Amino acid sequence: MFAYIVKRLLAGLVVVVLISMAVFALFWFGPESPARPVCESKTGGKCTEERLANFEESLGYNNPIYEEYGKYVKGVFVGRELTVGTQKIDCDAPCLGYSFKNNTLVWDDLVKRMPATVSVAAGGAFLYLALGIPIGVAAARRRGSLTDKVLVSTFLVVSSVPYYLFALLAWIYCTLVFEIPVLGSSGYTPFTDNPWKWATGLLLPWLCLGLFGCTQYTRYTRGAMVEALSEDYIRTAKAKGLPASTVVYRHGLRSALVPVVTVFGIDLGVLLAGTIFTEKIFEIQGIGLWGLNAVGAKDLQVVAATALFGAVVMVVSNLLVDLVYSVLDPRVRLS
Amino acid sequence: MKRNKTLAVVAGFALAGSLAACGGDGGDDNAGDGPSKFIEAGSGFEKIADATGPAPEVEGSQVGGDITVHIPLDPGPENLDPTDGWSVLGNSIQQALTHRSLTQYRRNAESGDMELVPDLATDLGTPNDDYTEWKFTIRDDATWENGKPITAEEIKFGIERSFDVENFPGTPGQEYSVKNIDCGEGYTGPYSSKPADCSGITVDGQDITIKMTRPFPDMDFWGSFMAMGPIPLEGSEPPAYGAKPLSNGPYKIQEFRPNETLVLAKNPEWKPESDPGRHQYADTWTFKFDADQEKVDAILLSDSAESQTAVSNRVGATNVSKAKDALGDNFIQQTGQCVSYLAPDYTKITDIKIRKAIAYAFDYENIWLAGGQVPNVTRIPASTIMPPGMSGRKEYQPDGEQFTFDPEKAKSLLKEAGAEGYKLSFIYDDSAPELVDANAQQVKGFEAAGFDVEAIAYQEDAYELFGNKTSPINKKLNLRTVNWCSDWPSAYTMIPPLVTKGSQYNTAFFDEQEVQDRIDEIPTLPLEEQAGAWGDLDEMIGTEYLPIIPTAYRNDLFGAGSKIGGFTGDAAMSAINYKDLYVVK
Amino acid sequence: MSTPTMGSETVGHLSDETVPGDEPPAKKRQVSGKSPIQIALGRLRKDKVAMTCFTIVMLFVLVAIFADVLQNLFDVTTEPGNPAQQLNPMNELLPYKGPPSGGFDPAHPFGVAPKTATDNLAVWLAGCRTSLLIASLATLVASIIGITLGLIAGFVGGVVDKAISFVIDFFLTIPFLLLALTLAPIINQRFALKPDLYEKAQLWSLVAILAFFGWMGVARLVRGEVLSLREREFILSARVIGMPTTRIMVKELLPNLVAPIVVAVSLMLPAFIAAEAGLAYLGIGITQGNSWGQTILRASNYYDDYALYFWEPLLGIVILVVALNLLGDAIRDAVDPKTRR
Repeated sequence: MFAYIVKRLLAGLVVVVLISMAVFALFWFGPESPARPVCESKTGGKCTEERLANFEESLGYNNPIYEEYGKYVKGVFVGRELTVGTQKIDCDAPCLGYSFKNNTLVWDDLVKRMPATVSVAAGGAFLYLALGIPIGVAAARRRGSLTDKVLVSTFLVVSSVPYYLFALLAWIYCTLVFEIPVLGSSGYTPFTDNPWKWATGLLLPWLCLGLFGCTQYTRYTRGAMVEALSEDYIRTAKAKGLPASTVVYRHGLRSALVPVVTVFGIDLGVLLAGTIFTEKIFEIQGIGLWGLNAVGAKDLQVVAATALFGAVVMVVSNLLVDLVYSVLDPRVRLS
Repeated sequence: MKRNKTLAVVAGFALAGSLAACGGDGGDDNAGDGPSKFIEAGSGFEKIADATGPAPEVEGSQVGGDITVHIPLDPGPENLDPTDGWSVLGNSIQQALTHRSLTQYRRNAESGDMELVPDLATDLGTPNDDYTEWKFTIRDDATWENGKPITAEEIKFGIERSFDVENFPGTPGQEYSVKNIDCGEGYTGPYSSKPADCSGITVDGQDITIKMTRPFPDMDFWGSFMAMGPIPLEGSEPPAYGAKPLSNGPYKIQEFRPNETLVLAKNPEWKPESDPGRHQYADTWTFKFDADQEKVDAILLSDSAESQTAVSNRVGATNVSKAKDALGDNFIQQTGQCVSYLAPDYTKITDIKIRKAIAYAFDYENIWLAGGQVPNVTRIPASTIMPPGMSGRKEYQPDGEQFTFDPEKAKSLLKEAGAEGYKLSFIYDDSAPELVDANAQQVKGFEAAGFDVEAIAYQEDAYELFGNKTSPINKKLNLRTVNWCSDWPSAYTMIPPLVTKGSQYNTAFFDEQEVQDRIDEIPTLPLEEQAGAWGDLDEMIGTEYLPIIPTAYRNDLFGAGSKIGGFTGDAAMSAINYKDLYVVK
Repeated sequence: MSTPTMGSETVGHLSDETVPGDEPPAKKRQVSGKSPIQIALGRLRKDKVAMTCFTIVMLFVLVAIFADVLQNLFDVTTEPGNPAQQLNPMNELLPYKGPPSGGFDPAHPFGVAPKTATDNLAVWLAGCRTSLLIASLATLVASIIGITLGLIAGFVGGVVDKAISFVIDFFLTIPFLLLALTLAPIINQRFALKPDLYEKAQLWSLVAILAFFGWMGVARLVRGEVLSLREREFILSARVIGMPTTRIMVKELLPNLVAPIVVAVSLMLPAFIAAEAGLAYLGIGITQGNSWGQTILRASNYYDDYALYFWEPLLGIVILVVALNLLGDAIRDAVDPKTRR
């Protein structure tokens, strides 16, 4: 077990390193010098060749890429000193660089923005399960009936509307048109400031995420339940005269959950890596919005950091999934 | 003053209307059945040299409350360094709320006009006879947010700072301070020059004396820019200072996230008696940049709790009538001295007939509608380089008649020039559907007039591209755009930036010695002759060269929720007058 | 095991994994005389929902293929209209004639768009074509990559399998949206100087972005299938008689993979159609032609003022996506030997 985790973590590390290299290379070998956006921004659009060269030098873009990447990695583990304009800035480990756009250290921003994204992701993911599984079970138990068809197709219709539109309209109607008391006042307040406001402010984003994302859980659960309910051991349980609910929940659901957990782990990872749409529409200052803006501004260090963060989260959640998986399904042996 | 990126490009395509009737009489707000007519800027601003603090109370004003300002389609300032500020949006916010300078504007409640009043100086400055030396006395009761008094030394340092071309290129100081203040040849500011200080600026107690290299009568206007304000001597190194500069206005910066939000809180150290122009009514201000136009319109029109204390600095064209009905007095149409131009490359399109053909081939009204502007409300057909309301402006038509979309006329002009099928290359921004649609109309119009069109999609800052001499895209272009707002109501801030050789905003690359000589000569003329001289120069440039084709004079639409009071426009800044806003309880 | 699902936050479900439970469809098949495909088709034919959905999908496909013929038939074009004459500036730039304020306008059956006065029907038809084209191309590319890599990984095994599995994991870990956001402008910028190629470049870059992040599910699925198939007698005997590896893969393995691949593809298509619409909001996608995603983006603030304009593209997407999904489910049920009706 321990050896397995170590092995997986090592493989994950390789993935993370590769992704950080890919992002680095993407900008480095992009159509323009990576120093140009910095130069344009700092010179108010008067970036001459000479100034560009200065910026390239001070930012280190005139060095070979591997050398700069080396410095970057070193910064992550032991910290380094950054040159910003005419100033030197101490960037302690873990140093993810300096955002020219925000004039801040990238790591500080990451830490500042993480709680918002984690809050959105956790609530949304919880609703994926809380809505998706019961509905899926209900549909599976009445397989082929009208209820089944209505449930399945309603959620299908909802999820085929573009998500941004769904969230935008939900916001407009809840907040502006009907001014629904609690739902209407969405926005992010840190949990530590006011837990009640934190929860009420995030309720609408959670619901949007949950309603929209639970569809596939409904479908997975339904499929897995249908399968599980047709297994021999369920027939045996039924024959034994166990109550229907016991059969469904204790025996059927448990094995049906196995594949659902897998999907969930990955979804959670995707959400934690940044809920771009939700954050943009509900104006939540999280990792997703940060990355989106950074891409627009070509703030390389921030883009690299969000990609790196996303990769780490994905690797970890994948690993967690496999661990949970082995607990849920005794047939699976980790090796 | 330049427009920020997105707006600039939107405006590049979204220009004009075609009714000539609206040319002259503005101000008739509710005429006809339309939402409103174009409003003309008032001419000049009154100067009240002896205005003292505190500023006159706004009628009905109340203290407290939080104001949220939504800024659709504009990413806002990149940083807040006072030396850097040269955008309509950034300056209108900072100058009104956080950063003081030598002089400032305030709105006269009775006339509704803006007037120039002292700010950190005790008056509007005393020039010598030929305007080559200005003396200001700095008031002794103004303080920073940390409670320390603002000194004349700090103002000197602030002015010197804008000479640093490495740290502050493309700033207003480079245009006005460097060209006019006598700091000696090769002076590059306190960070790189030896000696570090400027010999032309002397401080004696509370007095600061500034020597000019040439007559500069507009110093009092120029003094309203933050580049003519104080900067702390310590801890103000660029670029880090721009992330959170020390405030000295009624509000201080609580949080600033570029492109996202700016949050301001009351500055307890600011004393109303020390400031003849500003108020401190609301408790906090939240500016939300790059907001979604639809969302902002929806907020404003809903009159929900969220909307009542909201302000929008752009009302979408598709909601103009609704906004006017819903917001009543809190819907304003603000004039500014802002003009949009087409700039055919003067080095490539050398025949004035082709330039005129372009003017007739530009499908003003359709381009503008597709881009989300309302004819005769936010745009009006333009003819002169100087916008209406600027003193000395001379009404003339470069081609004897108003340019309108007339493909046949364009065709015949092209034929005369022997340039049928002339190829126009220009860029357009395809990052928003509106811009794509406007471009489609533009292409359609040019093609109808017999031009061959090459429209290149480009999503970055257009001015950056136009200034980049090595870019293969820029080399290809022969038609560019520029949008310009005057920095103060003098043609000195309008004509030279647009047609001087080497100016960043001379995107036509116009260069004629005759014009250049005149531009250098006019500031040396007797003061009373200058305005008229600029007007004549405008006509000369337009009729003889037509290097830039004025396509539209611009109006902006602002809206605010029902609980916002004191909502007015600032004609000097072409922006919302943030100084007088308050929240109604 | 399972997949890169693209949850709500990643613009729709790029999950092409079949729902668990229908996994090894090949195991109990060969009992009856009919081939599994025949059985499945027979079942599908009897499934009313499936046949309805199939008809709807085919209708959309026909519309897409004959978009320009239909445009000519209705005498409409996607050329921009004349807003100065057709739109009312005093009424939020809505058209003078036809919906929403007027009645049916035979010259513009779907009305004209606000602001641009372009014909809605023409744009809708063109949008149908573009959206389906993008989704089909992306599905095709993703399937080819996925099937090829899955086949190789499953059949060759060993180091190759490990390597390919690693690549799959790697791609699953990449933050899809962030990379798409980064890549799109770079690709566009490369073609900025060639305006004639720009439109095609945009289309292909969108296809590439979608396909690049959508192939992993198929690859995993195929790999799993191959792993279970390759120990079976018919493959073993093919090996014994010395059939070349590529031939075994193409001639023996592939036909047995048809069913799961069809299921995967039928679920990938709607996912890509929805993804195109979502990406449009973030500014990734085609800005030159017309697609449903772009039209929805333009129409998103007219839900109230001009409902017809808003619902046209939206209904197009919703109906097509739902039909494709239901059809996919039905196909899956049909090829699954365990489901009995």
